[in-house]
Amino acid sequence: MKWFLFYPELYYFASGMIFLGLSMVKQANPRRDYFAAMVLAALGVLVCLLNVNQEGYLFFEAYRVDLFSQVFKVMLSMGLFLIICICSELKAIADKHHPEFYLLLFVCTLAMMMLVSGAHILTIYVALELSSYSLYILVSLRRDERIGLEAGLKYFLVGIFVSAVMIFGVALLYSATRATYVTEMARALPAALDSPMVVIGLLLTLCGFFFKLAVFPFHFWAPDVYQGAANQATAYIATASKVAAIAILIRMVAVTGDGNVYLAHVLVILSIISMTVGNLAAIVQKDLKRLLAYSAVAHAGYVLIGILGMSTFGYSSVIFYAMAMLIMKFTAFLVVVKVADDGSNLQMSQLAGLHRRSPLLALALMVSVFSLAGIPPTIGFTGKFLVFAAAMQKGYFTLVLIAMINVVISLYYYLLILKAAYLEEPAEELPPLNVSPAVKILSGVLIVVMVVAGIFPRYLIELANAAAAVLN
Amino acid sequence: MVYADFPYLSIILLSCIVGLLIILFTPEDRKTRIKWVSAVFSGITLILSLYLFVAYDKSLGGLQFVEKVPWVESLGITYFNAADGFNLPMLLLTGIVFFTGVLTMWELENRVKEFYAFYFVMVLAVFGIFMSMDLFFIFIWYDVSLFPMYLLIAIWGTTRKEYGAMKLTLYLLAGSALVLPAIIYLFAGSGLNTFDITLLMKSGTFTPYQQKFAFILFYIGFGILAGVWPFHTWSPVGHVAAPHGVSMVHAGVLMKIGGFAILRVGIFLCPEGWQHWAPLMAVLATIGIVYGAFVGLSQKDLKYVIGYSSVSHMGIVGLGLSTVSVDGLNGAVFQMFAHGVMTALFFSAVGYIYDRTHTKVIAELGGLSRIMPVASTYFIVAAMASMGIPCLASFWGELMVFIAAFKTYPVAGALAVCALVVSALFMLRVVQRTFYGPKNEKFAHLSDVPFRLGIPRMILLATLLLFGLFPALIFDMIETASIPFFNGLP
Repeated sequence: MKWFLFYPELYYFASGMIFLGLSMVKQANPRRDYFAAMVLAALGVLVCLLNVNQEGYLFFEAYRVDLFSQVFKVMLSMGLFLIICICSELKAIADKHHPEFYLLLFVCTLAMMMLVSGAHILTIYVALELSSYSLYILVSLRRDERIGLEAGLKYFLVGIFVSAVMIFGVALLYSATRATYVTEMARALPAALDSPMVVIGLLLTLCGFFFKLAVFPFHFWAPDVYQGAANQATAYIATASKVAAIAILIRMVAVTGDGNVYLAHVLVILSIISMTVGNLAAIVQKDLKRLLAYSAVAHAGYVLIGILGMSTFGYSSVIFYAMAMLIMKFTAFLVVVKVADDGSNLQMSQLAGLHRRSPLLALALMVSVFSLAGIPPTIGFTGKFLVFAAAMQKGYFTLVLIAMINVVISLYYYLLILKAAYLEEPAEELPPLNVSPAVKILSGVLIVVMVVAGIFPRYLIELANAAAAVLN
Repeated sequence: MVYADFPYLSIILLSCIVGLLIILFTPEDRKTRIKWVSAVFSGITLILSLYLFVAYDKSLGGLQFVEKVPWVESLGITYFNAADGFNLPMLLLTGIVFFTGVLTMWELENRVKEFYAFYFVMVLAVFGIFMSMDLFFIFIWYDVSLFPMYLLIAIWGTTRKEYGAMKLTLYLLAGSALVLPAIIYLFAGSGLNTFDITLLMKSGTFTPYQQKFAFILFYIGFGILAGVWPFHTWSPVGHVAAPHGVSMVHAGVLMKIGGFAILRVGIFLCPEGWQHWAPLMAVLATIGIVYGAFVGLSQKDLKYVIGYSSVSHMGIVGLGLSTVSVDGLNGAVFQMFAHGVMTALFFSAVGYIYDRTHTKVIAELGGLSRIMPVASTYFIVAAMASMGIPCLASFWGELMVFIAAFKTYPVAGALAVCALVVSALFMLRVVQRTFYGPKNEKFAHLSDVPFRLGIPRMILLATLLLFGLFPALIFDMIETASIPFFNGLP
């Protein structure tokens, strides 16, 4: 056993156990929990960074550690760290539940790390379920039980349904290929791809990941869950959980080798509908978190554009896109969490006067919104550009055109957010927002990263290329 | 290709960035300091662009002051700036309008810091588009130049500002939605894995089909920004809503980006597509010229008048491009320059009047030449330039375009000349009602333009006169690019 390959996972497991212990301490102490989580998550990023160059197999080759998985592990650990950075005032969660909240965050991150490394269909399934169950509880933990439980239950019901569908797909795949290892499947599938059973099996299997990514028609949970969960939990679902879903989707689609026409067609259709439905529904939203949920549906559509080219360039573009999504969505949620400082949901109208209450947060919101909309020179534009270029190289001109039209539609509601933050004045004079120096530095860094990575994306692109190269 | 011994072009961009950063880190309440910083850094860009214009070696021609740095090697993206006969007049125009725009907004008191910050971002991008020779960068700069517009108009604008801002932004971004697929299409179709225009424009890179297909996307996409009929509707609304300094940059420079990008990207990369679609371009351009003139006739708002005259004048640029001839190209580029300076003078003049009278409605003004003769002069000179009076720069651009158009499209040329008469009519009507006739006593107490505030208008007026009297200064420059380009066509 080469245990050092498993260090990041072990580390997150141990951190989770620490919070399990803390949760049994009678005296609730939010500050202590927060600082423990902060330190552990920061160290976690370090552990993942140190392990980035590891390679090898574990557990009878059911667990693959390569650059692809390690890059995603770094993203996931950063996602967790960022989320914990905005947990300093966790008012939407009861004080006594804070250790559990962090426990679930760490366990969920652990599960997602296992997911991106999974090389056996069973590992993947178990990891997927572990991360899903952590999220179900995270959503339900909200102090206002009525909203939280409703959202959690919705998430749970859709989730177990999709999970059953996925298992059925896996069974079909197994009966067609007699393979449970991803590598074996990769060998058997390209030859068998013309059989309907395989295509259906593969699609049903992918449903499990579509659900995570909120691709149409598995997006119905997204708006309710985004709205119902505590702001920080929503931020986690919107960032880290999406990144993991992208990773596993790439790995599963890469199994098909050069790809398959049926599969590509289905993905094209899902992508177009996701973009359009997401963007059109987002236009009428008044609640910022619901709006971001629908924008996530649209972004899932853009992600599929990169994947359905089934080329190494496409996969690397999607890896880049995942990095972009992590940063730009997190920045948007940072503003949501800080403006709604009492832990309630944030209406668009509550952004009014933000440019005066906190110019820095308004600027962060503006850059993240432009990045989400795909306006240069932000990381979001570079991501979209790469994804579109990958699809174009495979000849999907119409798809790219439809995607660009969607970008214009989405710009409308993104501009409405800006309008609320920069133009509208609150009905009554609101005091300036109390933003701590740490948050100021964090938002400054995020703004700089989004812009600099947009202007000078070279190293990130090279990293994504290298990560995608190990897939085949 | 002559490499730069000193990165003048990048210094232009850099002075915008440095100016922007200094503005961002200046406290909000130090308004005068922010204005001075803006004036100094925009002045630097003006001096540099003027220097480049003079230092360009016309006998050598081709690309000069070239700066080339690999940016993303795996995708063939290069940071590639260069100056040639086409973009030097545009860079000079941008420098002039930028500097005078900053001065025109000198009296701004509301959210000064943010205004100049967004203003600098916008102009930075405009400079970027004009000097870049890499498709990827052109697109990036193109989009960057658009997004500050929303806030600039929506926050500091006037008439129906939120509607105008949203309409303008969505229209222009819809244009970019056509341009980006076209760029990626050419990138993927060339197989060269490069965005470098000089490499892509080698003949034989693209099949005629690819050229036709991509050109029409470029033409419509960039044409929206150039105010091509029927995609022009954002332009009068947006110009009217925008604050004066922004209108100046927008009508003066941003619309030129559309025409310039059609030339630099569409015509350079897809010459066969250009020749294929030229008749369509001629038709749309002629409709634009005629339509702009007639709609301008019935406007009641000073800024709307200028907005529609812009549609008409940009139609002349389109007509010049559509003739597929050296004269047409020369005329189009000259017209872009002349119209840029002229509209800037228009909006600058209206800006002063509006700031005093708080109205742009023609009927409410009247007799202004007796109250503020100097301010009126600026407007009247701009109106004369708009009519194409000789001795002012616009005359030469229009003349060249009409000569070229008569050769290729006699009907379109004749219609365009007739429309010019109509536009002369509506300009005279506006001048007569606004500046002559009985004076409105309500405004009798207003003072005329003081010398300090007159500086930007004087610069613009002097430019119009200078290039009206010595058009060869620009024509010789353009010809260093247009003649070799034309000889290289298959």
